[in-house]
Amino acid sequence: MKCSKCGNPKVIFKREQSGQLLCKDCFIESIEKKVIKTVRKEKLLDKGDKVLVALSGGKDSVTTLEILNSFRRMNVIDICAVTVDEGIDNYRQEGVDIAIRHAERLGIEHKVVSLKDEYGITLDEIMQRENHKGSCTYCGVFRRTIINKAAREMGATKIATGHNLDDEVQAIMMNYLEGNTDNLTKLGAKTESKAKEFTVKIKPLREIPEREIGLYVVAKELEVHFDSCPYAMQSFRGEVSEVINQLAEKHPTLKYSTLRGYDKIKGILKKELTKDYSHGRCERCGEPSANKLCKACSFLKELGCD
Amino acid sequence: MSFVLKYKSLEEEKEIPHENYTIKDVLNELELSAQTIVSKQNGELVIEDTVINDDDEIQLVQIIYGG
Repeated sequence: MKCSKCGNPKVIFKREQSGQLLCKDCFIESIEKKVIKTVRKEKLLDKGDKVLVALSGGKDSVTTLEILNSFRRMNVIDICAVTVDEGIDNYRQEGVDIAIRHAERLGIEHKVVSLKDEYGITLDEIMQRENHKGSCTYCGVFRRTIINKAAREMGATKIATGHNLDDEVQAIMMNYLEGNTDNLTKLGAKTESKAKEFTVKIKPLREIPEREIGLYVVAKELEVHFDSCPYAMQSFRGEVSEVINQLAEKHPTLKYSTLRGYDKIKGILKKELTKDYSHGRCERCGEPSANKLCKACSFLKELGCD
Repeated sequence: MSFVLKYKSLEEEKEIPHENYTIKDVLNELELSAQTIVSKQNGELVIEDTVINDDDEIQLVQIIYGG
């Protein structure tokens, strides 16, 4: 067994679909090159951008930060980061600490925002309420609001998230299975909103399978928080992910073909199905909102956190 | 012929049951998916087709969790 690129006998990765073997250095290089290719192909960065990395301390966001930092080293962009502390006991603190250490190591502007400080309630407290709507519903909405706000406060021109190939394919299938054509129009490498208060979102890892990101951080010896969110198993995403992974065992190119297929029809979906929201303001917090109250504030009202 | 298996908090000595016994065989016995694990042989990353030798230390690192 030898690396297909350099002949090194210490192989760490076998690409199932092609049989290609890679040593540590060639594997790391292949991931970084592929991400840089996505950045260029999808025009994710402009010179002078200030990119806010949504940094949880997990493998995906740490990899995003690490690879985007190569553009920062070349003085193409500036980087800052925000970490959201959702308030999940025995889980979140380790990720927050790791995020702080990465920001310090790279010398980038970083802030940690907690749900408790921002809204007066933690995710654990929400989950103790009767009739809650499920952890991921609140977590997704509150996190998105906090990250958008942080982007404006820190003067960021782009928000980079760590969404990987698996995440993206799960989102495509979930929205399709649920008939959520509105959300289906919003996926992709770069998401722009008509409301200028919403910073452009980019997903540099969109074409990298989740396992390869895991292998990348172990190979590069990057400190990350490998752990399971205690609420993860309650999600529909978890169920969809299981089915896709089962199919991918026998059909190793399935995730790529799902993504490519979606990318081909995305333009048509956007043209035909994008809703023209009237962009007003949330009367409670002033954030952009199609309704009187934004999603975050309507949840807070239901939870009695006025 | 035996090897040491490390996985999460588990650390145990195991027999090598037959020739050409690979890390993939260990994953199958533990009902773990190779999609969620990376493997180290004596501290160095390896692929799952790697044959386990006498006195090896095999470490399985879970890199993917649900959700």
